[in-house]
Amino acid sequence: MSQHSPRVRSSHNLSAQGEPMIWLSGGMFAIACLMIVCLLSFVIVQGLATLWPRDYLLLGLVDGQVAGGEFRERQSYVLSRQNLKDLDPRSRERAEILLADQSETGSHRWYLRTGNFEITNRHFQGVPEVSIASEKPYLPKEIWLLERRQWGNLYGFPMSLSWSTPAGESTLDAVRAAMSEASVTRRGIESAKRVLERLDRDLANIRLEIRKVELAEKSDLQSVTEQVLAAAAEANTQGTPIAEAIEPLLTSQSPRARRALERLARETLTTENEQVKINESLAELEAKNNARSVVMQLPITDMVGDTPLTREQWQGALPSIPDSLRDLLGLSDVAGGIAARAFPVSSNQVLVHLESDGRPLTMAWLVWGDDLSSASVYRLREHTVLVSDIVRLIEPNRLSWFGKIGVYIERWIEFLFGEPREAGVEGGVFPAIWGTVVMTLIMSLVVMPFGVLAALYMREYAKAGWLLSVIRISINNLAGVPSIVYGVFGLSFFCYTIGGYIDGGPIKAGFDPWPSGVWFSAMAILAIVGLVAFGVSILSGKTRSKSDRWVRVIPIVSGFLWIATIVGIVVLMAKTPLFHGFYEAQLPNPTFGKGCLLWAACTLALLTLPVVIVATEEALAAVPNSLREGSYACGAGKWQTIERIVLPYARPGIITGFILAMARGAGEVAPMMLVGAIPLAADLPLDLEFPFLHGSRSFMHLGFQIYALGFQSQNSEAAKPMVFTATLLLLSIVTLLNLTAIWLRARLRKRFQSSQF
Amino acid sequence: MNRLKAIADGQNIDAVIHDEVMSCEPVLTIKNFSLYYGKKQALYDISMPIAKGTVTALVGPSGCGKSTLLRSVNRMNDLIDSVSIEGDMLLGQESIFASGIDVIQLRKRMGMVFQKPNPFPMSIFENVVYPLRIDGERNKAILMQVCEHSLRGAALWDEVKDRLHESGLSLSGGQQQRLCIARAIASDPEVLLLDEPCSALDPIATSKIEDLIERLKGDYSILIVTHNMQQASRISEHTAFMYLGRLVELGPTSTIFTRPKLHETEDYITGRFG
Repeated sequence: MSQHSPRVRSSHNLSAQGEPMIWLSGGMFAIACLMIVCLLSFVIVQGLATLWPRDYLLLGLVDGQVAGGEFRERQSYVLSRQNLKDLDPRSRERAEILLADQSETGSHRWYLRTGNFEITNRHFQGVPEVSIASEKPYLPKEIWLLERRQWGNLYGFPMSLSWSTPAGESTLDAVRAAMSEASVTRRGIESAKRVLERLDRDLANIRLEIRKVELAEKSDLQSVTEQVLAAAAEANTQGTPIAEAIEPLLTSQSPRARRALERLARETLTTENEQVKINESLAELEAKNNARSVVMQLPITDMVGDTPLTREQWQGALPSIPDSLRDLLGLSDVAGGIAARAFPVSSNQVLVHLESDGRPLTMAWLVWGDDLSSASVYRLREHTVLVSDIVRLIEPNRLSWFGKIGVYIERWIEFLFGEPREAGVEGGVFPAIWGTVVMTLIMSLVVMPFGVLAALYMREYAKAGWLLSVIRISINNLAGVPSIVYGVFGLSFFCYTIGGYIDGGPIKAGFDPWPSGVWFSAMAILAIVGLVAFGVSILSGKTRSKSDRWVRVIPIVSGFLWIATIVGIVVLMAKTPLFHGFYEAQLPNPTFGKGCLLWAACTLALLTLPVVIVATEEALAAVPNSLREGSYACGAGKWQTIERIVLPYARPGIITGFILAMARGAGEVAPMMLVGAIPLAADLPLDLEFPFLHGSRSFMHLGFQIYALGFQSQNSEAAKPMVFTATLLLLSIVTLLNLTAIWLRARLRKRFQSSQF
Repeated sequence: MNRLKAIADGQNIDAVIHDEVMSCEPVLTIKNFSLYYGKKQALYDISMPIAKGTVTALVGPSGCGKSTLLRSVNRMNDLIDSVSIEGDMLLGQESIFASGIDVIQLRKRMGMVFQKPNPFPMSIFENVVYPLRIDGERNKAILMQVCEHSLRGAALWDEVKDRLHESGLSLSGGQQQRLCIARAIASDPEVLLLDEPCSALDPIATSKIEDLIERLKGDYSILIVTHNMQQASRISEHTAFMYLGRLVELGPTSTIFTRPKLHETEDYITGRFG
């Protein structure tokens, strides 16, 4: 027996215990979780908070001005010597004291949504705390928030109405009633405008028909068109029959041109008559709407003078006001007494409501200096708002909790189902949701057959070999190509080449057509090649024996011939001198030769094709071979087995991959910017107008909307809240699609893989 | 000389086939059949008749080519790209491997049951009538009649007659295997190929399948691969012993199990080897 030392068995080995790895991996896991939670909660909180109605604050400033706005947040910011110069002198004094001998110090500012964009040129204002004179913010009960069709929100105090209201009716009720009337009128205006648009379109279509005749007959009808229209107008004013008046001009024209010109003359006259009528009623409706307006006073102050009044006199309600103040505020010709109510905003600043007979007259902002014996008087800026311009009227500081919930829900409904206002900054994103959904659906219709059939061929029919492996790896890599690359490809291939070809034939697509002689000879050669390919493939189908060498070559030859035939057909189509496009008459305006719904869907289909192929292949690979064998043993053919056994079994996996592809497609933005998404589209891509689906229209897209709103719009600061809400919406759509995929997979899997033993 | 050692050394040996088997009317005749997976030869020059209306068991140690031979009968090996063959088989008088044979038609004349139950992910009813469905049969009455007949044939009718429209996967393992047998006999095959049909089943399910084979043997010619010597002796009329891709001995089961002509067969049967 050889003697060997006993092995040392350490129990204090760190790697044996593995304690640090638990901490390391667990820590990484925690960080990953934290990131997910942070991202989600950030988007959810920001997105959900945007539409919640906030309190409206008034803050008295140390320079005597007033700042008002919807409270957003109290931000911390750095007060430093550099940014002192942005402050007014009195705030600067206070800041100097705060700073003492430091070069900077932490401070806060109040971030307010001020609205009133057309007057102040801003939507938000950050008020540094050193500038605030008020100890606490004043919440005026009377403030109104008007959400408008133009210029965004307006905050102000209602003063007078441009129309008389029955006694006893409050201003609020009067405006609300007027708003509902105005919305009816507005609907009338909109439908009248739609009719006008339709008339214009009809006329444009007839002109298009004339242009088509021109192209077909290679003639110039421009001057005769003008002559015909002039003659028809002449005949119309004189009351003579139009047909006779234009007849001499048409004798030299072809029957098709005659028909088109006659129709144009007739339709132009009737259209003009109708247009006159509609414009009249339109003007009437608009006058009706323009007649009703509200005068508002905004919390923006202009000094008008000084008044010798002490601070003590201005506490609470005053039965009457001194004449000096009357004069300053321009109220000298008001008969009767003027009552005043004063609301302290800070220790030496008050907001005064002046009323006569219970109706508001005007408001004033009074600021006392240090001696409190004489006050500077400020007037509030006045602004008139058309009632028809108001979308929603809220009294933010009078809302109860339930009222706030009501407004919140109402805003969400508008957001989800409404039209955009203010270039998409306000209002709804319905067209964007609709555009995203329609585009994604068309994309799925395109990608589904392609992807599934390609994967089916690769997994079920193709012989495994290096070529198949190379193709499979390429497809997998394709899934990792940056999506903007697809956008560039889509733009140049789909929009400019294919779209151009559809619009204006080979010339528009950038191909030089061959001369007719060359083209027809090429076609003859191609016909022969095609016939030979057909013959050879029939031959290869007949032979089953694999013994003869030349027999084995037949399938390869037939394959090459088929490829040559298809390439030939493509080349012939590209080089044809016979085809001039389906939309030649519309040129130079592109129809399909630009970014549009169809090409966006095709580009996305290309982008998601690898996802669908990979998912389908995996689903097919997961079908147990025993099932295939069982089916073959029953005498089923290859396609019967695929159709009846393989595809049903693989269906959950295929559908899952498909939905994941949809989710990816719905969230994709970069290629959309190039191939058809626009920030504001006039029409929906799918609507009730024939032919219902408009493949050549540009469309709005939710993902693109986020980018365009937040970073491309003129007023991106105002759009920021909308960005988060749209992000939340997009996130929910994608999550919903993914959850559907998971649920579907679980459900279908249960159906197929229940108890084995 | 030990034949098995000779086989292992790659020498050719002549298979011993008893006269009783040769004198039976064959349903299937295997003629000098060899099979290669790529370059590797798996079956060596096998010639044997399969008697009509009887059960023939193929026994032998693992990897001796029993399953390969069975799967060659209905050309399931065609599905594997690298397989090439020499020789031929005759079903009745018709060649199985001649060029121009319609494999699908051929497979419809045989039924096959696999080692692991493989019911399709569809209802019990659809599972059984699958062979008719792929032939395009739509007549409900005929389908129902065939379904009942096949399920009765597979001794499963009484257990599933009330739940024909439940998933075939909801059955127990033994029931699933009998469902597969029902499916195999639904197309009224000439030959039934059973590839270790009981290897994945418990003893009770196994005995049920064995009873079933007993009952089926008059109507169908059955070729069964099994590892279970008792099973072979219980259910088969003829037994073929294979070793390393070659047929060693084929004879009536009673003879093979009691006094085989070759002592190697006896060694294997009695468990002294293999």
